[in-house]
Amino acid sequence: MTTPSTTPSTVNVKIPDGRIAAPSRWRSVGRMFGTLWANGKARLGLCLLSFFVLVAVFAPVLAPYGPKENGFDRNADASPAHWLGTTAAGEDVLSQLIYGSQISLMVGFAAGILSTIVAVLIGLSWGYMRGFSGEVVGFVVNLFLVIPGLPLMIVIAAYLQNGGILMIIAVIVVTGWAWGARVLRSQTQSLRGNDFVASAQFSGDSAARIVFREILPNMTSIIAGTLFGAATAAILAEAGLEFLGLGDSSIVSWGTMLYWAQNSNSLLTGQWLLLFAPGLCIALLALSLTLINFGVDGISNPRLREGKGR
Amino acid sequence: MTAMSSTTTTDEQILLQVEQLSVEYASPGAEPVQAVHDVSFTLRRGEFVGLVGESGSGKSTLGFALTRLQKPPARISGGRILFDGKDIRDLDAEELRRQRQGGFAMVLQSGMNALNPVRTVGHHFQDIFAAHGHVPREARDARARDLIAKVGLDPAVLARYPSELSGGMRQRASIALALSLEPQLMVFDEPTTALDVLVQHAVMDTIRDLQHEERFTAILISHDLGIVLEATDRVMVMHEGRIVEDAASESILRDPKDEYTRMLLSHYADPRAETISIPGFVDLGTRRREGRTRTDVTETLPTVSQRDTRRADAAIVLEGVSKRYPAPRRGQDAVTAVDDVSFRLEPGEALALVGASGSGKSTIAKLITGVEKPTAGTVRFGDIDVTSLRRGGLRELRKDVQMVFQDPYSALNPLHTVEYALSRPIRNYTPLRGQEARARVLELLETVGLTPVEQFAAKLPHQLSGGQRQRVVIARALASDPQVLIADEPVSMLDVSLRAGVLALLEDLRERWGISMLYITHDLLSARLVTENILVLNSGRVVERGETAQVLQHPEDPYTVELLDAVPNPARSR
Repeated sequence: MTTPSTTPSTVNVKIPDGRIAAPSRWRSVGRMFGTLWANGKARLGLCLLSFFVLVAVFAPVLAPYGPKENGFDRNADASPAHWLGTTAAGEDVLSQLIYGSQISLMVGFAAGILSTIVAVLIGLSWGYMRGFSGEVVGFVVNLFLVIPGLPLMIVIAAYLQNGGILMIIAVIVVTGWAWGARVLRSQTQSLRGNDFVASAQFSGDSAARIVFREILPNMTSIIAGTLFGAATAAILAEAGLEFLGLGDSSIVSWGTMLYWAQNSNSLLTGQWLLLFAPGLCIALLALSLTLINFGVDGISNPRLREGKGR
Repeated sequence: MTAMSSTTTTDEQILLQVEQLSVEYASPGAEPVQAVHDVSFTLRRGEFVGLVGESGSGKSTLGFALTRLQKPPARISGGRILFDGKDIRDLDAEELRRQRQGGFAMVLQSGMNALNPVRTVGHHFQDIFAAHGHVPREARDARARDLIAKVGLDPAVLARYPSELSGGMRQRASIALALSLEPQLMVFDEPTTALDVLVQHAVMDTIRDLQHEERFTAILISHDLGIVLEATDRVMVMHEGRIVEDAASESILRDPKDEYTRMLLSHYADPRAETISIPGFVDLGTRRREGRTRTDVTETLPTVSQRDTRRADAAIVLEGVSKRYPAPRRGQDAVTAVDDVSFRLEPGEALALVGASGSGKSTIAKLITGVEKPTAGTVRFGDIDVTSLRRGGLRELRKDVQMVFQDPYSALNPLHTVEYALSRPIRNYTPLRGQEARARVLELLETVGLTPVEQFAAKLPHQLSGGQRQRVVIARALASDPQVLIADEPVSMLDVSLRAGVLALLEDLRERWGISMLYITHDLLSARLVTENILVLNSGRVVERGETAQVLQHPEDPYTVELLDAVPNPARSR
């Protein structure tokens, strides 16, 4: 053989041309959504979540009355005029419930996103660092992990009395990022062993660039998982803090509804709906995010996706 | 061929009969992919058959289907598998479980990771005996000792945990476990691929001897035609899901019928021979002697680089370099990875660094590139003392000393295009920006033979084959216009037919650009093809050095001889 067949055989593409598509961010987002939708639990979660989002967005249209309109009979039971009755201050419970979803969703996602950002920044650089500086970061993260979350939250919230929603978001972020940072750090450490990280070092890339351009995009699904987990925790924490009266009790949210219902002893007066309705909403919203997280597992691990047993 | 063998044998002699078997991968939301097309063959009792093919040929899929171990999304879409006259295609889980005793067993490539780390090897045997109840309780210990001795291990191994055993020992233990059910059919799926070269050889010997003694029927699945031809009586060659050739090993060796088999065979050669030629390649020594360059390959590579390429002018010098790692556990000795190694890599030279795994060759690469610091001795590049460099200095060093990684599948970030990967070193090490940088990316792609360049620049790694990926990795290493290229097993992860192309590329670049190359490998054949000088390492020490052709033809150290014997060579076995 004088003309070698080696070069053509190496250049020979195994994948048919039709399947080579131009890389597109939207396509990959679409694919992620498709994988979520294919998972039964995640689909239920997405439906629930979009229901709450729609209710929050269209609250002014859906709610029969304003959230703070208090000219109605006090402590009224459910009736055609007030489907869920009225509060001790004479407000319509259904309208409060509908408007309250705005606060819960807003606080949940704002605090969830912010604490995920903190977790990503700290977790990734911690995972990439070696030596003494890594130990220092590790000490700080461990400190936040061992301090019991709820008491810390209560202390901070009590200290920043009457800060309103922004204060609540800040408290949740400060106490909620450490767990995510720990998870992301482990994943970073395992990805750091890949040759493409060493290659980037040989290409002269800076540490920050390697962490955020080479490693970060490979953990999108874990970050999405952290985000939904953090949002769930934030929604529960927000309701908890407001129930304890540590937030701004003049706003209408599911947490403050519980707070006022408790204050007016509504269980004793037989108005269990006042406690039950916001409680159920909080539980359903948290459930929807947890269900979505089942599907997120499928994005990161294809084996969880294919298998319906043998 | 199959028709003939089935007419000459009576039905009792046939253990396995496969008729027009097809297997497809049907992932939800994707077109089903046919991995195995209409495969038919028969196995006689006591036969040892090889199944050879390159990656993606469907050989493992077929092996899994035969033992009914295929997992979704793979499914058998047609045909019959008659085992001992019974169709096993539609057995349910319980029938299948019972069938595994005295039926068929499989030894996997990662069999050494198939042992439960928290149970001793002895426990694994007890579990199997208990599950099938085919060995009386009082005879179980004796039987386990018997089996473990058969695979060449000491009975004391039974009391140990998998993590206390080496990879080779674990693979032997899993073979013994598969034997414990007295199977009539054993399927070995790449049983030695994940093992070290020398261990590989020993495990293959064990498998061959076992098969001779126990007379079980065996199928050996491998990508390495050399290994298979050495071990088996009959070989089936698989290509793109079809069996393209099915013949006795000797006749395949002497008179291969199929084009594809011939191509596979042409890539084997004995590194000890006077002159070596594989397609598109004649060994360096012969070429030098005859005063010709490898013009045939140069023709296929376009002539680029009108720019002034800088010839290498600095040598890499190691003097008395040692590297010790602290003891893995308290009470154990420190690990000496590299022990008093000295050598020079002259500008423009190609030097091979060979040895089995654990011989310290990759540690030397790390020491030269400044990833690790030596415990003793100096590493110099020209006037620079590499050991004293800090972050900024290392970055400067890497402009001149670049690395080609072993695994092209992990060396490219799956989420970045080829263009992005190549543009980074250009941006970091050269003043080129914008259109000029892009032009340089395309020029590099042309240099490594990936044309049309615009198309390849836009591709993502998963759209490339292994050989193409390795070319991208090489192109990236060249982007900073380095003087020294350190190639750490650059072809060991590639299919045989792709290796020659990548080696030819490395060789060509070195000659035309005057780059010096340190070629790290365990594969003596490729070392013979692309290097002038060789350094043989054993447990961190240099045991032999000299001209590659000289050392490999007349090895002096027993370790070099051992390495040479481990090179699979189909011609030697007969």
